Amino acid sequence: MSTVKSVLFKDPASTESARSILRVLILLTIAAAAVASRLFSVIRFESIIHEFDPWFNFRASKYLVKHGFFDFWNWFDDRTWYPLGRVTGGTLYPGLMVTSGAIWHALRMISLPVDIRNICVLLAPGFSGLTAFATYLFTKEMKDSGAGLLAAAFMGIAPGYISRSVAGSYDNEAIAIFLLMFTFYLWIKAAKLGSAMWGGLCALFYFYMVSAWGGYVFITNLIPLHVFVLILMGRYSGRIYVAYSSWYALGTLASMQVPFVGFLPVKTSEHMAALGIFGLIQLVAFVDYLRGQVPSKQFNTLLRALVILITVVGFTGLVTLTVTGVIAPWSGRFYSLWDTGYAKIHIPIIASVSEHQPTAWPSFFFDLNMLIWLFPAGVYLSFRQLRDEHVFIIVYSVMASYFAGVMVRLMLTLTPIVCVAAAITVSSIFDTYLEIDSPEEQEEDSESKKSKKEKAKEAGGFLSSKAPFVGIYSITSKVAVVGAFSVYLVLFVLHCTWVTSNAYSSPSVVLASRMPDGSQHIIDDFREAYYWLRKNTPYDAKVMSWWDYGYQIGGMADRTTLVDNNTWNNTHIATVGKAMASREEVSYDILRKHEVDYVLVIFGGLLGYSGDDINKFLWMVRIAEGVWPQEVQERKFFTSRGEYKVDHEATDTMKNSLMYKMSYYKFPSLFPPGQAQDRVRGARLPSEGPVLHTLDEAFTSENWIVRIYKVKDLDQFGRDHFAVSAFEGGKKKKGKKGGMAGRAAGKRGRRVVRI
Amino acid sequence: MRLLPLLTAFTSLLSLTVAQKAANKYQTFADLASSSKGAKGVVLLNDQLFGDLTGPHRNFTSVVLFTALDNRFGCVLCRDFQPEFDVLGNSWHKEHPKSDGLFFGVLDFSVGKQTFQRLGMSTAPILMLFPSSTPGSGSEHHPLKFDFNPSNLTPAEAVARWITASSKHKVTVHRPFNYVKLFTFIGGIIGTATLSKLAYPYLAPALYSRNLWAAVSLVAVLLFTSGHMFNHIRKVPYVVQGRGGGVSYIAGGFSNQLGLETQIIAVVYAVLAFSAIALCVKMPRMESSGKQKIAVMAWNLVLLVLFSFLMSIFKMKNGAYPFFLPPLIA
Repeated sequence: MSTVKSVLFKDPASTESARSILRVLILLTIAAAAVASRLFSVIRFESIIHEFDPWFNFRASKYLVKHGFFDFWNWFDDRTWYPLGRVTGGTLYPGLMVTSGAIWHALRMISLPVDIRNICVLLAPGFSGLTAFATYLFTKEMKDSGAGLLAAAFMGIAPGYISRSVAGSYDNEAIAIFLLMFTFYLWIKAAKLGSAMWGGLCALFYFYMVSAWGGYVFITNLIPLHVFVLILMGRYSGRIYVAYSSWYALGTLASMQVPFVGFLPVKTSEHMAALGIFGLIQLVAFVDYLRGQVPSKQFNTLLRALVILITVVGFTGLVTLTVTGVIAPWSGRFYSLWDTGYAKIHIPIIASVSEHQPTAWPSFFFDLNMLIWLFPAGVYLSFRQLRDEHVFIIVYSVMASYFAGVMVRLMLTLTPIVCVAAAITVSSIFDTYLEIDSPEEQEEDSESKKSKKEKAKEAGGFLSSKAPFVGIYSITSKVAVVGAFSVYLVLFVLHCTWVTSNAYSSPSVVLASRMPDGSQHIIDDFREAYYWLRKNTPYDAKVMSWWDYGYQIGGMADRTTLVDNNTWNNTHIATVGKAMASREEVSYDILRKHEVDYVLVIFGGLLGYSGDDINKFLWMVRIAEGVWPQEVQERKFFTSRGEYKVDHEATDTMKNSLMYKMSYYKFPSLFPPGQAQDRVRGARLPSEGPVLHTLDEAFTSENWIVRIYKVKDLDQFGRDHFAVSAFEGGKKKKGKKGGMAGRAAGKRGRRVVRI
Repeated sequence: MRLLPLLTAFTSLLSLTVAQKAANKYQTFADLASSSKGAKGVVLLNDQLFGDLTGPHRNFTSVVLFTALDNRFGCVLCRDFQPEFDVLGNSWHKEHPKSDGLFFGVLDFSVGKQTFQRLGMSTAPILMLFPSSTPGSGSEHHPLKFDFNPSNLTPAEAVARWITASSKHKVTVHRPFNYVKLFTFIGGIIGTATLSKLAYPYLAPALYSRNLWAAVSLVAVLLFTSGHMFNHIRKVPYVVQGRGGGVSYIAGGFSNQLGLETQIIAVVYAVLAFSAIALCVKMPRMESSGKQKIAVMAWNLVLLVLFSFLMSIFKMKNGAYPFFLPPLIA
């Protein structure tokens, strides 16, 4: 055995260079795997931007590349939020667009003119490789490079992160998670070394993070919390002081340079924890210094009283400032994380977003698989060692698990720490069971055994086993444990691949379905309709739709929209909601006043596409009711038995609403009389379809998913449209009668067929 | 011809008496409201008073709560809502001591059985608004019914909004300042401060105990990752009646769960995590090789079985999931 060992494993020092080459190779492989596993959608469909928000980011990136940085900075976009427009340059996080713009320029510089779309599509996979590397660095600071490599591998393929970073998912999170992990790594490094340089670097990357994602607030609160816990534990040190002060001072100043953030860091409650800890640490440092100079006991007591007094005064000051409104209270989005019922009552627009729902346990398991149970073990192991950086893991774990439990989308911030903690556990197990040497069992007399046992008992408790580390004796045990964990790891890889391939790789712009023979059938209604808009409507046509589709219309159809996914103006969204939920008379007025030319609705009834507007309709009603409680009332859309119906039982308000009419207009004519069937809601529709007076059907896509209506112009004779249609209907009737009368007199018996 | 002035005089007299009557009635209720036995501003009704308050020829709007406060009926919602209604009546009375055309009344089942029967009411509480019968009051003359949310308490503010929306009266709610709460709060702070000062020498070891904090953190992590917040926010039931009369404790569907289900999952996670800890921390510290071997195998087996159990539950929730781990194959 020893000879084998000496041949295979030389002295660790002499193999260091080989080890580092191996590490680099492994990291490269992990990065390649991370990138590759995110390419499902590109291979299956094409290189296309996904979902909704990415379309805006893509449009902004195109603008940046075309007009240059300064124009982008001052960009006022008059093609969204018509007629208000949006100060886009000042209301977005520019980090993502600037990153891809920089890559585009860099590639051109080396004579590689890559289309900006491909850069945007592939940015997220590319950055996931970097995230894996940042996770490696972070975990290496916690344990060793072995754990680091495992963490990098976990991070590379964990579905919790893949869900937001597949190719085409060109969203802020694509680069933000890398920045998050790298900032944390730099922070740990700064706190460990007490170096202002690392603190400054941390601030630099914090600035990058602030410019890239609103989730930077997580860092803004987590680092102070770490410092606060360290101070409470009596672990204050000069290193912490240097690291925190340099990070906070530089980072805050830098973050205020982002126009969208501006003075928020000194004005809102979300940032007050960081400011408060900054004050506290100055105080603690001062006291620490004085204590070293003046060792008198009375003086110490005095000092302590002083500190408590200042803290209380400072805290009261903050509270007073908040109450009087100088410091803005928690913004709704953040507040709803603590008071979980808040959003549902006060901000329906936030509650209406599906990714703001709480997380059920299957989602955790789906996104993290076995990491989720290795995670608490890793937290426990951190408690055993409990150096300053382990405190960080613990604080991060508890906070992030809470947030992920409250809101599905925050699973994203939990995933990195789960990967780190799980990697620490797995690597500890492998450290123990992959040791080839087995210890010799020592024969001991009973007395010493007894004393040892007593000792162990004394040390006892939850984090016990202060007993000396012996090792694993039997090869069988080693093989069994290592074998079992290898199987679990393989299973984990299979799980991740399956989840990525099945759940997270659909672009949602293009729908895929299976034909009876198993071949793939692509449903491309969205792009068909957007392309129709692009080609058949004037460039300055205004399109009204529910806000979900605003970015896509802006990005794909390049037409002016009334509302979009930025949702900054609730009243404007409620106006659109009201137009959709009201009777035609009311709606037409709203449409005319907003100069709307086309109205676009999504209808899934024919195909069974459940994410359509009728299913979202209640949110439109709710949001409109929030602004006009007199005119739009949710309960009028429910039947007397409290059901939401679209068939003949539907309430009159429902049947007369513009949304209902637009969705089902001419729909029954597709079926034999009385057979019209809505496949989403499983309802049989009345054979008489709704009648539209003020709109004309302009376009309906192949599977009826997208329907576009043209708003009629004012009548040439100044009549309202109801009078016009009544008149036309009447004229036809009259004409028919007249014709019958005219002809029937001569040719009796012959029926006149009116075409 | 001579008949006409007579008729006019008669009608005007009639309308005068009606108006007089209405004014009388109004005064009665205004007095009742301010000298009410219950909360100020809320008239305690009986069958006859109810008839007056809601009958024809009224120049005022009345809001009536039909309730059943007696313990016999066991109406929890009635008892919960009563203080809110009192706050509402009180606020109106404070702002408008002369009532200004809006009355709040309560009709309890024990004194108003006939009315309940006459109106065919079989549930409580019911809140109705009877609009003023004078023309031009803005709303139709049909009484309006308020929709109670059966799952949680309706605050007075919601009712106030409803009244404002359905009549010309603008009702705002002023909650009386809660001195009891303030003093309890101050007392609580002082008490806690004193107590912690006194108990500090005894509590300090616990406060600085790594074991305690580790336990707290782990429990928190396990609770949150097993979907406790979902239970809290969505108020899911603990177990439900399954098909065939049995109790089912695993909810069908991927984005749904039950209270007991999450607890099972939390325990499974905990045991799995503990097995992993035991394998990497406890095992290599055992001195006897025989015992160690058995223990390692035992923990390894526990881990395998429970992980397999977890996978099978997950497969139950998500039918399309293709993976499993022996020995349990769902």
